[in-house]
Amino acid sequence: MVGEKIETLLESPAHEFDVVVRIAREEDIAVARQMAKQLAQETGFSLADVTKIATAVSELARNIYRYAKEGRIMIRKRLEDRDGPCIEVIAADRGPGISDVELVLTRGYTTYERSLGIGLSGVKRLMDSFEIYSEVGKGTVVITEKRRRKF
Amino acid sequence: MKMMTYKDRVVPILRVADYLLVPIQIDLDDSTVGRLQKQLMEEIERTRARAVILDVRMVEVIDSYISYTLSETAAMARLMGCRTILCGIQPPVALTLAQMGVVLQELVVARDLEHALVLASLS
Ligand SMILES: Nc1ncnc2c1ncn2[C@@H]1O[C@H](COP(=O)(O)OP(=O)(O)O)[C@@H](O)[C@H]1O
Ligand SMILES: [Mg+2]
Repeated sequence: MVGEKIETLLESPAHEFDVVVRIAREEDIAVARQMAKQLAQETGFSLADVTKIATAVSELARNIYRYAKEGRIMIRKRLEDRDGPCIEVIAADRGPGISDVELVLTRGYTTYERSLGIGLSGVKRLMDSFEIYSEVGKGTVVITEKRRRKF
Repeated sequence: MKMMTYKDRVVPILRVADYLLVPIQIDLDDSTVGRLQKQLMEEIERTRARAVILDVRMVEVIDSYISYTLSETAAMARLMGCRTILCGIQPPVALTLAQMGVVLQELVVARDLEHALVLASLS
């Protein structure tokens, strides 16, 4: 199930997204962050929300780089959405997966020696919706959205 | 005010009296954060500075990793007898850090550069 979802997402054609960044080297994290920022700005998000989206992307990209070695950040704007314009960020990898998703969402939980363990829980707080699918040996997918607020 | 600039490093480090002033004007990407840390430690050791002021006015994104590294740098500096003061956090960055629940451990946070200079002179 989760494996299929990961494969479908990783195989999805690039034209379905506005931004696709392959994460394989540390520099790619900054690239993903920068691209997210630019897209959010173009889509008319407030500076506060642009910063939140860029920060969330930074966290997700770092997790891919650190825990899965390789994966993808895919971002698209959806202007025609029922609830108004929004930006969707998908992080997908074929890494080791997570055995207890509840646990990794606990603030302060980390398996890394130099880290705060607030990445995933932080992304959940910064964005409007957050879904995570993971299976050991298959990989991990995080799907998250931020709606553009009306002023 | 006597100032010395060190070029061809990751960041300029200005020496002001007994402390170091570090205006961070580049996007803090990952390798940069590591090099910044190393450069600062060397500078603290060389100059025997009492305090380091990190001015992050130009920094647009501070994620949990950068937060961690900044706190770690401050912890290292403290062990060398040097305080670390952070100033110039932009409102959207402050908002994001607060929402994520990031606690910038080991760092003294100043309102602005002027306030940071006051805090530095007290240390
Ligand atoms: N893409 C991923 N693949 C495998 N494990 C992951 C992935 N993302 C996160 N994790 C696990 O979840 C834990 C918590 O992640 P996070 O909240 O980002 O904090 P941190 O990265 O600081 O540990 C990580 O320590 C790691 O064990
Ligand atoms: Mg993380």
